[in-house]
Amino acid sequence: MTRGLFVSLSLLSLTTSLSAAPAKVKFNRDVRPILSDKCFFCHGPDPKKREADMRLDERNAAVEAKAFVPGKAEVSEMIQRILTTDADDHMPPAKSKLSDLSTDEIAILKQWINEGAEYEAHWAFIPLKPEATKDQSIDKIVSAGLAERGLKLQPEATPETLIRRLSFDLTGLPPTPEEVTAFVTEHQFDPASSLQHLVTRLLASPHYGERMAVDWLDVARYADSYGFQVDREREVWPWRDWVVKAFNDNLPYDKFVTWQLAGDLLPNATDEQVLATAFNRLHQQENEGGSVEEEYRVEYIADRVQTVATAFLGLTFECSRCHDHKYDPITQKDYYGLFSMLQNIDEAGLYSFFTPSPPTPAMMLMDQSAKDKMASLKAKVAALEKPKTTTLPDLSRDELAHFTFDELKGNKLADSLHAAPPPQPKKDAKDKGPPDPAAVLKGENKLVPGKIGNAIQFTGDDAVDTPLGNFQRHEPFSVSLWMQTPDVKDRAVVFHRSQAWTDAASRGYELLIEEGKLKWSLIHFWPGNAISIRTKETIPLKQWLQVIVTYDGSSRADGLKIFVDGQQAAVDVIKDNLTKTIAGGGHDNISLGERMRDRGFKGGLIDDFRVFGRDMTTKTNAELQKARAELFAFQDAQKELMVMKELPQPKKAYVLTRGEYDKRGEEVGPTAPASLTPFPKGAPKNRLGYAQWLTAPDHPLMARVTVNRLWQSLFGRGLVKTTEDFGSQGERPLYPELLDYLSMKFIQSGWDVKVLIKEIVLSQVYRQNSFADAKTMTDDPENQWLARGPRFRLPAEMIRDNALAAAGLIKLTMGGPPVHAYEMSEAFKPVTPGAGDTVYRRSLYSSWRRTSPPPAMVAFDAPRRAVCISRRERTDSPLQALILLNGVQYVEAARVLGEKLHLETKGDLPKMIESGFLRCLSRKPDVKEMQICTQLYQEQLAHFKAAPKEAEELLKTGNAKRDASVPMPEAAAAAVLAQALMNHDACVVKR
Amino acid sequence: MLARAGGGFGMLAFASMLEAAKNPFSPKVPMQVGGKAKSIIWIFTNGGPSQVDTWDYKPELAKRDGQTLEGFDPKTGFFPGSVGGLMKSPFGFKQYGASGTWCSDLFPKTAMHVDKMCFIHSCWTGSNNHSPALFMMNTGATRMGYPCVGSWVNYGLGSESDSLPSFVVMSDPLNRGLPKGSAANWGAGFLPSVYQGTWLKPSGAPIDNLAVPASLTPQRQRAQLDLLAKLNRQSLGGSAIESELNARIESFELAYRMQTSAPEAFDVQGEPEHIQKLYGVNEKHCGHFAKQCLTARRMVERGVRFIQIYSGGMENQQSWDGHKDILGNHRGFANESDQPVAALISDLEQRGLLDQTLIVWGGEFGRLPIAQKGAQPGRDHNPHAFTVWMCGGGVKGGYHHGETDEIGFKAAIDKVSVHDLHATILAAAGLDHERLTFKFQGLDQRLTGVENPKVVKAVFA
Repeated sequence: MTRGLFVSLSLLSLTTSLSAAPAKVKFNRDVRPILSDKCFFCHGPDPKKREADMRLDERNAAVEAKAFVPGKAEVSEMIQRILTTDADDHMPPAKSKLSDLSTDEIAILKQWINEGAEYEAHWAFIPLKPEATKDQSIDKIVSAGLAERGLKLQPEATPETLIRRLSFDLTGLPPTPEEVTAFVTEHQFDPASSLQHLVTRLLASPHYGERMAVDWLDVARYADSYGFQVDREREVWPWRDWVVKAFNDNLPYDKFVTWQLAGDLLPNATDEQVLATAFNRLHQQENEGGSVEEEYRVEYIADRVQTVATAFLGLTFECSRCHDHKYDPITQKDYYGLFSMLQNIDEAGLYSFFTPSPPTPAMMLMDQSAKDKMASLKAKVAALEKPKTTTLPDLSRDELAHFTFDELKGNKLADSLHAAPPPQPKKDAKDKGPPDPAAVLKGENKLVPGKIGNAIQFTGDDAVDTPLGNFQRHEPFSVSLWMQTPDVKDRAVVFHRSQAWTDAASRGYELLIEEGKLKWSLIHFWPGNAISIRTKETIPLKQWLQVIVTYDGSSRADGLKIFVDGQQAAVDVIKDNLTKTIAGGGHDNISLGERMRDRGFKGGLIDDFRVFGRDMTTKTNAELQKARAELFAFQDAQKELMVMKELPQPKKAYVLTRGEYDKRGEEVGPTAPASLTPFPKGAPKNRLGYAQWLTAPDHPLMARVTVNRLWQSLFGRGLVKTTEDFGSQGERPLYPELLDYLSMKFIQSGWDVKVLIKEIVLSQVYRQNSFADAKTMTDDPENQWLARGPRFRLPAEMIRDNALAAAGLIKLTMGGPPVHAYEMSEAFKPVTPGAGDTVYRRSLYSSWRRTSPPPAMVAFDAPRRAVCISRRERTDSPLQALILLNGVQYVEAARVLGEKLHLETKGDLPKMIESGFLRCLSRKPDVKEMQICTQLYQEQLAHFKAAPKEAEELLKTGNAKRDASVPMPEAAAAAVLAQALMNHDACVVKR
Repeated sequence: MLARAGGGFGMLAFASMLEAAKNPFSPKVPMQVGGKAKSIIWIFTNGGPSQVDTWDYKPELAKRDGQTLEGFDPKTGFFPGSVGGLMKSPFGFKQYGASGTWCSDLFPKTAMHVDKMCFIHSCWTGSNNHSPALFMMNTGATRMGYPCVGSWVNYGLGSESDSLPSFVVMSDPLNRGLPKGSAANWGAGFLPSVYQGTWLKPSGAPIDNLAVPASLTPQRQRAQLDLLAKLNRQSLGGSAIESELNARIESFELAYRMQTSAPEAFDVQGEPEHIQKLYGVNEKHCGHFAKQCLTARRMVERGVRFIQIYSGGMENQQSWDGHKDILGNHRGFANESDQPVAALISDLEQRGLLDQTLIVWGGEFGRLPIAQKGAQPGRDHNPHAFTVWMCGGGVKGGYHHGETDEIGFKAAIDKVSVHDLHATILAAAGLDHERLTFKFQGLDQRLTGVENPKVVKAVFA
């Protein structure tokens, strides 16, 4: 017993449910849980942890190792070891800290061995069979299960309860009083068809997609910020809107998964399919200075692996990051096999601190008119682009600056083309005077004899700053210099215009030495949005070279050239995808020899540094440059969303020892665990192939895991409680036939989510009254048996949306950027709440910053969305009560509802109470309730009449304007009445 | 009116009947005997105080003042470009108490208690950077997102207060910021969110939504709650979900009690004058910290389980992070906290609460024995050694555990890792760190990780 009280309680309920001794022991139901809990850690699939070379997870191996003698429990080593009191032999051993087996557990093991010790494959890994649907239905399966316990289904809930339950379950909103009345009326005449109509109507509502999206955002760890310490905000909401649309369009679930996993790899992928892949990029991202880029890149991919495994497989793959799984057949190679498929994009492990650009790869978000405009601008440029005649660099014209580095005055190095301005008296402290054209030598850099006169010798830690060089990508420019390197540089910055390396994603341009070769690049966001070429040959050491680099203003790699000693160097194209600006990020001037948190040109020499405002190898075409400027400006203005874009050449993947980024072991290729189902023949070994593997009809997990999560969403508990773990450490379902039936139907329907939901909610099991007799409720508090309908406290989003809807405040505008609810003023990093009615938007649209999520949402158990979560905790805490009692959102909703009740009934109290009940509880009050509410209202009214100031204060809460036609004491008393109704159990608990 | 629901069920009874509507704060029986602490107060000296200038007296360092530390890796600290020579402590040391404990002159008042304090001089951690080291010290992991010590303690022990949050965090009230990583330092990670620390806002209402709307006086709300309970019972009275309903009603009741109890618990002005004076509530140099320490004692009395007080704000000169001017920096933060901390010990003792309250004093790492060069020299981060002291809760007074090398650079004898320290703190509260686990991502996760940390048993009397 290692998990504290809660688990012991749930175990207790489990044992109760199994109390009758089974006729014949079933391995998966009865034996596997014992072996998995008590034995597999040391005698399971992981060879590294295996003790005494004994494994009990495979029958042959166990028999061979003489763990037991089938049919003879008494002479079986396993049983003897469990029973012995000899501390040296006793199992489980004391050092394991596992408790001893119970008498019941030992009896089960004995019976199992005596009955032949038959094994079964783990239930969740057994392929689905078409027979699962034969002559079956939800109600048949559950009724049969209940009959075994001497129970039967509860009668159907009242129509008022049903419409309320269905409205929340299918749209996340309560029904309006009118909808309740209409449904109850129709139900009297034809219960069956009225339900059909209701479900059809609700599934067609646009709010269905919003309700379904909430669960998926938890799984996809959706947030409007990057997370980790810095947690800057980011724009990813277009993906959230896509999820809502996909559910509303009833996109078949196999496509829903395929698009998100691999939309970019589909033939002729549409924008929508590519956009869906943002799913893989929603993990937390880091930009803290000094962080190791590769470490975080590995973390990102590990997060993708974990998300895919939890969301689609229901397996705890993350265990296999460091070693083969101890309980399930997942090897470390399986883990890195999936890892290898999820890493093939041109991304950096850190996002940019100094610029707001989304990390690469990213797609531009354009509507049709923007696309048309882009096409026409591109056509204009293309028409002006003629085959260029290139010559050797001509150094005679358009020179902007020339630093000879011959003489140091103070720390200044003159530009021989521009004299220093004469000193002028300063007007004030802020007056910097005219710009000084000289370069500035910093730190310990020094002048030494150079190629012509003196040169600079660099420390690698200090720069020489020139005052110019803030070129745009439509502007051709060139740089000429003499340089000498003392040794083979793995990486060294010769010169650059940029704020920093990873901290600014290298935004700007740069000449580096990389692996001894010259590399010339223009960069928007390294590595995914840049053009870059690198010489094929390494440069010679310890000798002067004249290096000229040119750029023609085309935003293409073929517009870059490198000349060494007058010869154009043969180059490899490293990157050829520059679609956004190279300006910005700060540090708008060329610096030599050093860059923030990069490796400098240590011991290197530079002499005679010249900058030209032209591509020195070709003629300038002013018209073309103008057309490009126009095109590039248009591109720069387009918003981007980070997505997946497969690299043509996959990155190499390795088993990482202990999961550590810098401990590469054996190389691994893309693979999926063959123990589940083989990779489809002919499928590509990439994300698309993986999606095909997942959605293959014989895949044992994908449909089961999905159906189970949906069941959880409706019933508050999955058929398998551990929605995130279908492995041997997860819960075995009480109704595996039901899960298989629904999963098979789901696949057969073409993965039609609406059809699946419809079948479930029209079942008698779902429609049952949610109360059962006291014994059943006590024996089965979680409703695992399904001996009653679902009943549980509404999830966070519905709690808030319900209050807004009951008050008539809710604003049902769909989609768009996130908004700030009232509670954000109390968030950890407070934000001013939105103005006007933005505070009444559905909770789905509340801004979600990971280090500062909406406090009321978190109090009601919404996860922080740091990692994939497929199951929310459900707790009751006094902080929840405080929010409902005193939170601005709820007090305002109560006063607005109170006022509405008073207005529409002209202050007729019984009618007010009745209408309040209909809005908050979807039913009418009984006589006693009418009495209690009357008393409450009258007491409050008397009080507020005596204390009008208090009434005035109460009515000020929130943004909504008050209707002055209702007198203040009446409005305040009505508010208190409304608040009581809004906190009624039946208002916040789905029944 | 709202008689404690349905025939006197305690919270535990609810929890055992209702997995679905469990009350996570039900007190749970400690899992091992031995620890005496019912409450823990952690004075978190943020930024990393220097061991050699506080509690780890190193005469050899004074002898070698100015010498180069041979073989020193300049990347040990955070500023490899500012490595200076060995630097003796600018503070005077003398012996205190029957134990003859050497203390610097930074803490003249706290030092009077050395015979009740237990020093671990051989602590070490893995990171030399604030965020990861803070996360390590608070959660046992260097990346954010794991449950902190306070959350684990609450998960293990539940709450003994029926009217206050059971884990509270107080941060610097002088606008000097929050520890790096902020709320992640007191987050519940994968534990249910109810176990996260309640951060008391340094200004305004300390807890959200605690204030009843100006108009809804407590009496109004009382009447409303009573009628609400009546309404709820009306339709379901006697039905099978009555107990479930009672749990919900009880959570409203607790919230209602918090509205009155919490402001009362925070109100240190109601304390007698001699107590306020003892802590220095009205002293300019330490008043803010005095109020926090006094609040902590009031919370301990009211059954709050875990209280963390951050001494100092964010980094550099805003906390114990003395990169520059170690003399001025440490003098300042010691001056803010010495009297209040000493008073807290005295006050808990005189109330007979010290035995059942563990005070922990320490930060995320230590500082180097060499100087960080500058106009006024400071000391850079040092993950290899730092001192944590504990007091009360059954620890051995006047006891010194472990040693650093002769200049205080690295823990040398009986080294104590952060996981060891965590295991020890849990043990002080009666919790076995190996059995305090929570299932997440397919593993029984625990505070102290997968290596095999050891409880420092020697610290217990």
